[in-house]
Amino acid sequence: MTRDLLTLAQWLSPAFPVGAFAYSQGLEVAIRDGHIADAKGLTLWVEDVLDHGAGRSDAILLAAAWRGEDVDEVARAFQPTAERLRETERMGEAFSRTVRAVWGLGVADAPYPVVVGRAAALRGIAVEDTAALYLHAAAATLVSVAVRLVPLGQTEGQAVLASVTPLCERIAREAANSTLDDLSSSTFLADIASMRHETLEPRIFQS
Amino acid sequence: MTALPTLIVTDAQPRAVGSVSLKVTASDRGTEIARLRHEGSMRALFPRRDSQRITAVLVNTAGGVTGGDRFSVRVEAGEGADITITTQAAERAYRAQPGQTGRVDTVLTIGPNARLAWLPQETILFDGSSLERRLTVDLGAGASALIVEPLIFGRRAMNEGVSSARLSDRITLRRDGVPIYLDRICMEGDLVARMSRPATGQGAAATSTVLFAGEGAEARLAAARAILPETAGISLVRPGLLAARLLAEDGFDLRRALLPLIRLLADDDLPRPWMI
Repeated sequence: MTRDLLTLAQWLSPAFPVGAFAYSQGLEVAIRDGHIADAKGLTLWVEDVLDHGAGRSDAILLAAAWRGEDVDEVARAFQPTAERLRETERMGEAFSRTVRAVWGLGVADAPYPVVVGRAAALRGIAVEDTAALYLHAAAATLVSVAVRLVPLGQTEGQAVLASVTPLCERIAREAANSTLDDLSSSTFLADIASMRHETLEPRIFQS
Repeated sequence: MTALPTLIVTDAQPRAVGSVSLKVTASDRGTEIARLRHEGSMRALFPRRDSQRITAVLVNTAGGVTGGDRFSVRVEAGEGADITITTQAAERAYRAQPGQTGRVDTVLTIGPNARLAWLPQETILFDGSSLERRLTVDLGAGASALIVEPLIFGRRAMNEGVSSARLSDRITLRRDGVPIYLDRICMEGDLVARMSRPATGQGAAATSTVLFAGEGAEARLAAARAILPETAGISLVRPGLLAARLLAEDGFDLRRALLPLIRLLADDDLPRPWMI
């Protein structure tokens, strides 16, 4: 159990070489457009992405992959924009390359939540814990984008992350009991922000 | 059209059932109807048959969708055929009895080198509505599709909110059997509150998904970007596939952004029912 948590902490740490820090999933545009100006606005955005957007759908894909389902094409087709598709593919490739090299896991390249789910299943790590840490890491990435761009103080950023922790826990529990039929997203503005990010100049993040 | 809606009386609520099954094929004289069957509360009309492209107008003679209704549309475009499908009027999802859901199931099969445009007018969600829609599009080799699904959350001009409703809206786009785009919108409860969140709609009462698959997607990207307002975006998600999302204050505002985009992607004017 402790060993499993340590493995997850390593895989989903910002230091794990998947380049998570390079992506904002459209948040850079939302901040540039003035939609997010403080910790309150950031909290709402992160809650939306986790509960109604990429967070929940990634957790559902992760759980399906953990159960051994073939979800590669579904995971690709569910990406609403070119940048989001590239992000999930590149992070997935980097993750599977690293767990192959370090843990010897037979995980082929696939979208990011899919390879994380497969790697956890191969190590016998519980799906709910894996999804919870995955969601928390996704939230932490968004918070770090906002800390740099809004900008927010480090303490404010950590307070936002702490406030969405129970949400990560709830979505992970729901995702562990979900099927692919539960995939859905209604973060229309986050999708639009990701589309508009393609032509944003200058930009710091890759999505 | 004088056909009476087919009603199945259950203990819960009368149910409307309707289906259209259509196959069109290409010939020397342009695209022609090879098979047409309609049943119950749904009809297809063909106002324009004077060119290569055929236009089908779907009519819901029940006047809307409510709990327990079942509608089904099947359209098959044979090799090289060219069809535009629209609706005679905006669709209305009316209040449903508790536990009753209206279902609309559409399957579009586009053969090799065929072209199909799915351009229904808006679907308006009323308070208390419960709607489940499935739109499945299968593209063959060299086929192209333009798919538009506009949604309106209540009639804002009439001050009607949608404080309790259920929507499950699914679009599946496949090429050669492989999914290339999946859109899944599931919302339940106070849809206006859901749409007021910063990453969902910031208070928008209208939205539309627009998909363009086929040759020419790359070439249209820059022009499409240039005509979209700030509340919309478009992306070349993968080679040969454009996906756009639009948000707007209301249905009027949505049309102002949507119509030029459809004209650009369809290389044609809107079908007549949109303009009257």
